Amino acid sequence: MKVEYINPFIESVVEVFSTMLDTDAVRGDVGVSRAAASNPRDIMALIGLSGDARGTVALSFPTATAVAVVSKLLDINTKTVDDTVCDAIAEIVNMVAGSAKAKLTGDAGLPLDLSLPTVVRGRNFEVEYPTKSIWLEVTFESGLGPFNLRVTFEKL
Amino acid sequence: MKALVVDDSAVMRKVLIGALARADITDVEQAADGQEAVKATEREEFDLVLMDWNMPNMLGIDAVKAIRANGKTMPIIMVTTEAEKSRVVEAIKSGANNYIVKPFEPATIVEKIQSVFK
Repeated sequence: MKVEYINPFIESVVEVFSTMLDTDAVRGDVGVSRAAASNPRDIMALIGLSGDARGTVALSFPTATAVAVVSKLLDINTKTVDDTVCDAIAEIVNMVAGSAKAKLTGDAGLPLDLSLPTVVRGRNFEVEYPTKSIWLEVTFESGLGPFNLRVTFEKL
Repeated sequence: MKALVVDDSAVMRKVLIGALARADITDVEQAADGQEAVKATEREEFDLVLMDWNMPNMLGIDAVKAIRANGKTMPIIMVTTEAEKSRVVEAIKSGANNYIVKPFEPATIVEKIQSVFK
């Protein structure tokens, strides 16, 4: 995976937080992981990209950040991770992936499709992907708490 | 005015219903996929439809085509993460009246709604 491929995803995270959550998200350094990636946080939303490229985008949130995101998005006060929180996190990763997809393909509209998002709770699992995949990871700080972005992406 | 909000995400439906309220549209039905949306429009009349693209069972774009094939003429606004121009063109050709890319600011929803009723 080329390092520059992660930039559209980083930009999209910033846009989604700014537009939908009225909150700044500030990125940290980009790290690389060749190993299967275990969940660094409490709740992870993943979405697949397929077509002329293949990849996976994952956002991982501590519980406190996840509930803060949902509370802000829906203007409610929730404290626990429930279906609404999982649904919201799924929608956030969907918007990030969709926005990044448009940036990656440009106006040419190369055929790239998004899968429906999946949400996983808990830390005791690993995300496997085809051999030799490289995951790039960025930690973000935001007004709603920290979270992680992970991306593996290859043009075919 | 009665609106139909179509999105497989219950959270996004709530967000859209909140945005519709800013346009003083509070009579809102919900559908979780394209199939439900088509059935809802066959069952009752709507003045406006907000339609997601990527949904299980039936894509939003196919629901738009089906609704138009049924002779329904209410404004349909796509609200989707599909941001490529080719997708916008496909949606408009299929019968959508306007297009909103997620993420969006609530004010954008109000503006687009007002624009389809001008």
